[in-house]
Amino acid sequence: MDEGFIPYQQSLEDEEQSIKSTQSVIEQAIAWFRAHSMFVLAYGTGCGAIEMPPTFTSRYDIERLGVVGVATPRQADILIVSGYCSPKTLKRVIRSYEQMSEPKYIIGLGSCTINGGMYWDSYNTIKKLDDFLPVDMYVNGCMPRPEALIEGFVKLQEKIRANSSEAGYIQYRTRYAHYRANQERLFGTQVQPRYEENFAGMNL
Amino acid sequence: MMSYLEEHYELIHKTPRLFALHVTREQLLDTLHQITTHTSFDTLSQLTCTDWIEEERFELGYMLTNALRSHNLMLKCSIARDKVTMPSLALLFAQAEVMERELHEMFGIGFEGNETLYDFALEGWCDIPPMRREFDTLAYVNAHYDFREGREDNLDVKEEIKKRKAAAKSAKETPSGA
Ligand code: SF4
Repeated sequence: MDEGFIPYQQSLEDEEQSIKSTQSVIEQAIAWFRAHSMFVLAYGTGCGAIEMPPTFTSRYDIERLGVVGVATPRQADILIVSGYCSPKTLKRVIRSYEQMSEPKYIIGLGSCTINGGMYWDSYNTIKKLDDFLPVDMYVNGCMPRPEALIEGFVKLQEKIRANSSEAGYIQYRTRYAHYRANQERLFGTQVQPRYEENFAGMNL
Repeated sequence: MMSYLEEHYELIHKTPRLFALHVTREQLLDTLHQITTHTSFDTLSQLTCTDWIEEERFELGYMLTNALRSHNLMLKCSIARDKVTMPSLALLFAQAEVMERELHEMFGIGFEGNETLYDFALEGWCDIPPMRREFDTLAYVNAHYDFREGREDNLDVKEEIKKRKAAAKSAKETPSGA
């Protein structure tokens, strides 16, 4: 079952076996709540953003999976980078991501975030989003239909419930030097303040 | 409206709704002033630039629209590619400011009197302005961005789709033949 749209119902039935093993009951419960209340930062970067309104409104109604849009990064859990990013946009995306509180996840929507898509030879768009930010889930297609985005969310829910240390926000802390080096290389002198300062006192 | 233009300028009729006339850099402000006061072409709707690299010139197009939005008049003005400044129209048309800012960024054309010629869509750009034709896009991309490696199987997508379709077709045919 790798191709096509996996119905939500079926994913609910499947999931029980896989996740349980390593987690305590409390952890499982927390992960379950987390996976079913995903607040998405309403922010569109490229043309793929046009598929998000139907995803969130009555036709596809993603709210039945617990996915809701919010207007500020401080309250958001999920950042959807919906398409191509110019370096100028990327700076804003990074600032927004760093303002979100953990746990937080990134969905890269559309081919442009994966490999540049049809803008592969443009002087003003980045080609690999995961060089600069830790992407948890890619949804391919140009542009991906709401079904594909929903499948991306369902897969992300599974990932959240597995509660692994591979999650993007943990990567972003532990491998910050790597991401930061790529950001500095792209932005040159016009680079934003270091995110590290935010978690300087934390026990990683 | 047309009669004034016909009388004073060499008007080129491009289509029934689109006219053009050539002006020099020095005449531009004066001509625009005359046209906006004597005809109903009173809005600047577009400012375009074409890079004629073989002829060593830029051709700027100032597109004027009339109040009814029914007719367009384009003032064409050629300038040398190396001596690239123009008088700014910001005092005549407020919207010219942002259009000139874009041309400055994309072609490196200076506009005397426009105060906003700093970064616009490109932040911290320090290469040749990207819309000039001598700018090598691919070389720039290769130098500044990393590409994702292709899939390991590296199959030709078109060929694969053809093959799969053929396979599906033959699979369909065999049971009916058997
Ligand atoms: S993947 Fe396609 S739809 Fe999405 S941003 Fe790129 S060009 Fe636009």
